[in-house]
Amino acid sequence: MANQLALIQNETLKVWKKKRFAVVVLILLVLVPVFVYAQMKIAQNNQDKFVDWRAELRQRIIDNTNALSSDRVPEEWKKWRVALVQQLQYDLDHDVNPNTPNAVTFTNSFLRNAVGMFIPLMVLAIASDLVSSERSTGTIKMLLTRPVRRWRILLSKLITLTLYVSLIIVATAAVSYLVSGLVFGYEGWREPVFVGFRLAGSDIDTADVHAITQGAFMLMLMGLVWFSAMVVAILAFMVSVLVRSTAASLVTMMAAVISGAILSNMASSWKSAKYLFNVNLDLTVYLQGSPPPIDGMTLGFSLAVLGVWAIAALVVSFAVFTKQDILN
Amino acid sequence: MEIHVRWESEMRRLNKKSSWLWPSLGAVSLGCTVLLLFGLGWALKDAWAPAAGIALPSATPQPAASSGDWADKRELLVTAVGDSLTRGTGDASGQGYVRGTVERLAKGLGKPVKLVNNLGINGLEASNLAIRLDDEGYKGALSQADLLLVTIGGNDLFHVAQNGGSLVDGGDIDAALLQKRLVGLKPRLETVFRKLRALNPNARIVYVGLYSPFYDVPALRESVGAVIDEWNGYARRLADADGGITVVPTYDLFETDVARYLSSDHFHPNADGYARIAERVAQSLL
Repeated sequence: MANQLALIQNETLKVWKKKRFAVVVLILLVLVPVFVYAQMKIAQNNQDKFVDWRAELRQRIIDNTNALSSDRVPEEWKKWRVALVQQLQYDLDHDVNPNTPNAVTFTNSFLRNAVGMFIPLMVLAIASDLVSSERSTGTIKMLLTRPVRRWRILLSKLITLTLYVSLIIVATAAVSYLVSGLVFGYEGWREPVFVGFRLAGSDIDTADVHAITQGAFMLMLMGLVWFSAMVVAILAFMVSVLVRSTAASLVTMMAAVISGAILSNMASSWKSAKYLFNVNLDLTVYLQGSPPPIDGMTLGFSLAVLGVWAIAALVVSFAVFTKQDILN
Repeated sequence: MEIHVRWESEMRRLNKKSSWLWPSLGAVSLGCTVLLLFGLGWALKDAWAPAAGIALPSATPQPAASSGDWADKRELLVTAVGDSLTRGTGDASGQGYVRGTVERLAKGLGKPVKLVNNLGINGLEASNLAIRLDDEGYKGALSQADLLLVTIGGNDLFHVAQNGGSLVDGGDIDAALLQKRLVGLKPRLETVFRKLRALNPNARIVYVGLYSPFYDVPALRESVGAVIDEWNGYARRLADADGGITVVPTYDLFETDVARYLSSDHFHPNADGYARIAERVAQSLL
């Protein structure tokens, strides 16, 4: 056990010395202000145009209602709009502003938008070369000639990866909260937000709808984002075991993540795409009850699909790593 | 063997240089992991076994328009409600008569005139509007306005008279049917006026009268014209009974050169047509 801890310590420090986490934080520090600025412009524009937030919300509802009547809008998008209209209507009827501009709501919407692409890419920065770099630099031999069993070495790498994924998620939320707070103010933790809308056919069932605080909402979002980030990390981990070159492993995973984002946006009528891991990454849609990318997907379904992919990847990683010959 | 020694010394160097790094890094990242696992668990619990939820702050009362003369007010609030004419369908610039009216009013009154909401929905009938007026979200927009612009009724009339086919030809409009059903449609307008007045006792309400888009179709000119006339006359009588409602006639605007003022669907006005309606509405208010 002490042995295992030493291995983890060793791996964690190696990643730290490679300054990968520093790069992630740096990227966040550059990008988040850009998003904050864009959000500020939108808020200013709305303030000029509307007498209050209720008027803005009403106009959003009416505009989406009108878009529904257009024959040009595909059926899947209509479903999404119907859900959106009913959620906004619920907010309006209960006099709850869903978009008060503050650091907490900004962070929450940033997390929701980041789950499909941004977070996976940040995770790949660390996961992609965890094993393959040892091979390309030749240090794998030193690692494997130690009097430690191979699976223990791989396990220590996996735990290190988990720790860094957690750090990335928390850092993302923290940077976005701290930076956006400069502009929007740091309050908003206790404001209510509605969750628990359910899709029932083409309608929305509001029986289970209840309010939680934005702070609790943020913690839930972070938990769900962490789960999908872990799945991406584990898959990247497997690819990094299988592929010698770090570049190849990075590109493979990036292609997979990006194609998932494209597939989700295509309002897919290809139903079996729902078994792919990359269309299931956005777990946050289920919290509020927005329609999933493909019909029939639920929170349980997505968790199961992601879980199966992750377990399979772990099995492959450990099987290959413990058996494979290290040639040069 | 040599390689071993090198590796050992390298790791020792790494660890020694950062004796504080591992404890803090390990503790912080472990703490983050625990926090996120807790968040995940909470999210799953909330999705599958929802708790009661927190209490909501009590709703702020809907703002109401003050009574009194427009001349005394610092700024004027306008809300438009109704069908595709309110929406501005057919106007390539997307302005519609509502924006045009607001601009003309601001100029004429010399004070800011603000559009609270344009609640126009394509294809809306008076019966649906009456239902929507009971909606909490709608009420605020209507109760705080000093001026309500309303277009409604066109869809009611032409939907009941339509027996399939394209409206553009006008051939599918059954004028006899229209005349017969007109009686049943009138109460819808009465309900809308009554509800609007109940929501906002102080606002001036402008009802934009209907026009016949089929004036250039000889077979329909007389029959549809008579129905439109009766509808507008009925609106006029309701307006007079209320005292604060103005019915702005528009039928004469679309008689001389229909093609010039109607859009390509031969039903909705185009940008020029909306501009003329806006002019009329502004004239009735200034």
